[in-house]
Amino acid sequence: MESVIDILESKFGAKRDASAKWDACVVVPKEYLHNAVEFLKNDPSMQFDMLLDLAGIDYLTYPNHEGPRFAVSYAFKSMKNPGRRVRLKVLVSEADLKVPTLTDLYASANWLEREVYDQFGIVFEGHPDLRRILNHVEFVGHPLRKDYPAQKRQWLSTTDFLIPELEKRLEDKGYKVIQRSKEIMPVEEEYLEGSIRE
Amino acid sequence: MSNEAEKPNFITTSLDFLVNWGRTNSLWPFPYGTACCAIEFMSTEVGRYDLSRIGSEYVRFTPRQSDVLLVAGTISYKQAPILKRMYEQMAEPRWVIAMGACASSGGFYDCYCTVPGIDHIIPVDVYIGGCPSRPEAFFEAMFDLQKKIKDESYMKQRAERVKDQLEMIKAKTEQAKAEAREFAREKTAELKEFVTEKEQELVKKAQFWKE
Ligand code: SF4
Repeated sequence: MESVIDILESKFGAKRDASAKWDACVVVPKEYLHNAVEFLKNDPSMQFDMLLDLAGIDYLTYPNHEGPRFAVSYAFKSMKNPGRRVRLKVLVSEADLKVPTLTDLYASANWLEREVYDQFGIVFEGHPDLRRILNHVEFVGHPLRKDYPAQKRQWLSTTDFLIPELEKRLEDKGYKVIQRSKEIMPVEEEYLEGSIRE
Repeated sequence: MSNEAEKPNFITTSLDFLVNWGRTNSLWPFPYGTACCAIEFMSTEVGRYDLSRIGSEYVRFTPRQSDVLLVAGTISYKQAPILKRMYEQMAEPRWVIAMGACASSGGFYDCYCTVPGIDHIIPVDVYIGGCPSRPEAFFEAMFDLQKKIKDESYMKQRAERVKDQLEMIKAKTEQAKAEAREFAREKTAELKEFVTEKEQELVKKAQFWKE
């Protein structure tokens, strides 16, 4: 385990995260993240071939914290060398909310990055389909940020229109779409009655 | 509708009795299960407790064929319009049961994503407490609902609805008439203007030729 950290430190200018007590965690500079992950995945001595999780962190109310406000943490696991795990972390400042995407290396990064974008507003550059995944389309703000009031509720007026996505998926599988469907907008007041609005 | 139909008499009361008897003993639920309470509903439905004993024989997974919308589970804001549409698709008569703390009040999810009780979206007839509600509580709720249905009067509802419809039709015809009158008035005014203009033009022309 130490060797992974040493190699990352020497190759990609990473630093050991002093606050991580239970696992191996390194802070990687943002510009080397993609290279470091590619190295971790493809190097025969590493072979971290599974992206377990990807999470955003907001340090706004964190005690004794210095440095950028946000961080994104990646957890990797190796299936070929059993028991090997490592966690990478990139620091994201509020002025520059951009992180390179990992979707070209790990397919599982797609939805995980969408979730972090949805909840924290961190933009993943190069992501093929960066939309909200948990909250609805009319949601304003990013709820897991510490300055979002946790009890602030937002009503949705209509369901998501997912038919074009379905048609696209069918077309990818080789089916032919004869007729495209159009969205029918429901009457607005009908769906908003009974909503609590402050 | 005349007042005759609203007064309880032998025919209406016996018809009410018949209709209510039929309705109470064949409540087909439509389970809208989104979370853990739906699992509890499954155990209510099968062998040991057996919901079919009170006539809820079939669990219908389509809103068109069911009488009771059974909301079992947490409803998030993303789901609220779907639930509303489901309710609207159900045919009358329809009733709603909110099963569990989540559906009744939002439960312990006091946050940005959970609807604090489905009564913000659709009308609810019976609430069941518990997290999740026990099958016994569910049966209690079904009995409550049956009692409620027995008190309803089919004929009265029908008379009221017909009255409402009549009033609506009357109001609509009134509106249409008023619109038509307004339209006619505007048109005649326009035509009059047009005619006077033409007349003046002709008069001017005539004067010109005279000169
Ligand atoms: S009331 Fe409890 S058991 Fe029922 S859906 Fe909510 S959390 Fe689950």
